Amino acid sequence: MARKLAAIPELCSGCRICELTCAIGHFGVNNPKKSAIRVLVTYPHPVMRLPVVCSQCKLPLCADACPVGALRRIEQVVELDKSSCISCMKCVEACPFGAIYSHGALDYPVKCDLCGGRPKCVEKCPKGALRFIPEQSLGESKRMNNVLSYTHMKEIEFTEQGQQRTIRYAEIGKEELS
Amino acid sequence: MSVKSGYFKQSLHVDLTSGRCERRGLSDAFLARYVGGRGFGAKMVWDNLRAHDFKIDPLGPANLLVIAPGPLTGAYLPSSGKCSFISISPATGVYGDSSIGGTLGVELRQAGIDALGITGRAERLSILWIDEDETTILPMPELAGKTCLEAEGLIKERLGTHDIKVAVIGPAGESLVRFACVNADWSRNAGRSGMGAVLGSKNLKAVVVRGTKDLPVHDLAALVAEADKAYAYMRSHKYFKMWQREGLMMVMEYASAAGILPTHNFKDGTFPRVGKINGETMLKGYKIGDTACFACAMSCGNINLVKQGKYVGTVTEGPEYESCAMLGSNLGVDSFAAVLHANQLCDELGMDTISTGSLIGAAIEGYEKGVLSLADLDGQPITWGDESAIMALIHKIARREGIGNVLADGARGVIRRWPEMHKLILHVKGMEQSAYDSRAASSMALAYATSDIGAHHTRAWTIAKEIEQGKNWSDEEKVDLVIYHQSLRPLFDMLGVCRLPWIELGLNEQHYARFYSAITGRESTLAELLEQSNDIYNLTRLINTRLGLGRKDDAMPYKVYACPIQTGATAGKVIDQASFERLLELYYRKRGWDADGNPPPEAERLHSECLPAA
Repeated sequence: MARKLAAIPELCSGCRICELTCAIGHFGVNNPKKSAIRVLVTYPHPVMRLPVVCSQCKLPLCADACPVGALRRIEQVVELDKSSCISCMKCVEACPFGAIYSHGALDYPVKCDLCGGRPKCVEKCPKGALRFIPEQSLGESKRMNNVLSYTHMKEIEFTEQGQQRTIRYAEIGKEELS
Repeated sequence: MSVKSGYFKQSLHVDLTSGRCERRGLSDAFLARYVGGRGFGAKMVWDNLRAHDFKIDPLGPANLLVIAPGPLTGAYLPSSGKCSFISISPATGVYGDSSIGGTLGVELRQAGIDALGITGRAERLSILWIDEDETTILPMPELAGKTCLEAEGLIKERLGTHDIKVAVIGPAGESLVRFACVNADWSRNAGRSGMGAVLGSKNLKAVVVRGTKDLPVHDLAALVAEADKAYAYMRSHKYFKMWQREGLMMVMEYASAAGILPTHNFKDGTFPRVGKINGETMLKGYKIGDTACFACAMSCGNINLVKQGKYVGTVTEGPEYESCAMLGSNLGVDSFAAVLHANQLCDELGMDTISTGSLIGAAIEGYEKGVLSLADLDGQPITWGDESAIMALIHKIARREGIGNVLADGARGVIRRWPEMHKLILHVKGMEQSAYDSRAASSMALAYATSDIGAHHTRAWTIAKEIEQGKNWSDEEKVDLVIYHQSLRPLFDMLGVCRLPWIELGLNEQHYARFYSAITGRESTLAELLEQSNDIYNLTRLINTRLGLGRKDDAMPYKVYACPIQTGATAGKVIDQASFERLLELYYRKRGWDADGNPPPEAERLHSECLPAA
């Protein structure tokens, strides 16, 4: 099944454990600046923490920009062939999301490879802000939020077997009933 | 055993007067003995004091400010984003330090710096720009009077990148408010000891860093294995999710119920309307995001937004417990939006929320009791919960206008101007007391009295334990726990990590010895590291005694002995001075200090060895 690495900015705390995990896993060094996933933080207008990582595009612009064909989409992953890379970093500039990174001490770009199918950053994220989900589930929570924004949610509190509980329901407007 | 890795073995020294910036090597002996962070800072400040014959004006060019991460800072392990600011404090005139979370320390390390020392005074308002291996002092007079957020934005614009870390002071630091703080990552602060005023006195608006180096780690596999165990423990803790949701705000309810919540300038121990400024209120109406320091799974930071009313549009990371208590219940403020706004003002103007709340509380009580006249208040009366008067006073302190000019000099300045105010201000050594009422627990009074930086809870926090133990807790046990805390808690500041995973989620402190061993390759047990931390405690004590402090300064303020808590579970409690003195004597004995609190002479010999040069 095709899966995508998705980030949920509302849940991200900006702790950068994903960055450390990625750099340690791929380069064997404790250096968040060598990570293929980076948390971008803006404050205070708007308040945002968004992990930026490769989307493994099906029509990758990074591959189009590569003059030596070092980037190719193989199965679910846009893979980098380090041996043919000439370190021009055109792919870094070509990515519309800025999701490929470069580092002064490396001869090739830093790009997510999904850890061979089990992204470690997803396992280590303490907030559940990173998900590795089936492709058809992308956008699921946004759709749900959009639907909920149409309803006027009400809350009632009640007691069940001595326990305080709350139930939420959508009240349909009177004008809609008439 | 010597240090094999974990450091860049380099310090950066900047003299703003001459404009000289140089990197110096750090010897293995120095690294092994002083560990990092507060340890490095204490030694460097001590050496600087000796070079100046112990005559240093905290706000003069000779005062050295050290910014030092630790060997664990930035490493893959829980909450490794800490970094310390160390100097002679303008609030107390003696040793001062304050730690900051976020990512500043990580960036400094990635620029290859184990310790940054700043002396002198720039001719024009400047920033220090450390770009990997290059250091520049850049005049930016246009930053004068800018708030922290404004200044950070202008600096990023000038340098043409947002991928940098900025530690900045606000107007309060520039006007030398003695409890001015240093702000980084927008709303993380090195809050206490007046480190912002030290930067202000040097005409340095900001320290800006960019670094990309690998952090040296002796045994990465061992570190990752140990850290994974620690993270797994934290994530399985029953309060882990609650921490992420509320952070330190959950202490509000506890403190009020326990009767130790500062209320009305510590007149009361409980705030009847605490429900309006507690964690639940925050979650229901204000919180818009979680935020964490580097590599921290607990994400105790809460980003809050006021969505309606008078303070609409106020956004701030915080408050946490101390800020909420000192700017909320301590001032009789029961509007969470107002607390948020006051917190944001303090962050933006660059002032410590604890000291600000404490001094405004004292001013309100002073006026209530007739110690301060309306003229003293510049004709503007102030009462409990008077939000707009409180906001106005915060502005006046930062800009040193009217009564603000007196409050800006801290507890000592206020008492100098109005001696009767000593009955109302809670401070030790000139530092205003944190938000835990020590009258409820004599061990907490001992902790404040013997803290090297003044009445702050960072060195020892024993109040919850004493309340739990009640009368079954002997003096011996109290002193032992205070000393244990004073060894362990500063150790976190030496290593460059946060103490919250330990104190709040019970992460075993033994982990930290294993982290240290894996990173430095210097096999150390926790007991050995605690011993080293104790050596540093003796050193900071030595700095203070050589600057003229003694037993008379290890004393609690008038209110703690003379005014019982009026309401709450601890109503009627007060510290009996005679038994407190006995506790203090026992503490000195157990520490091996003499009757006036002087550390043993060997401490002076040990720390006077010349080690920093490689």
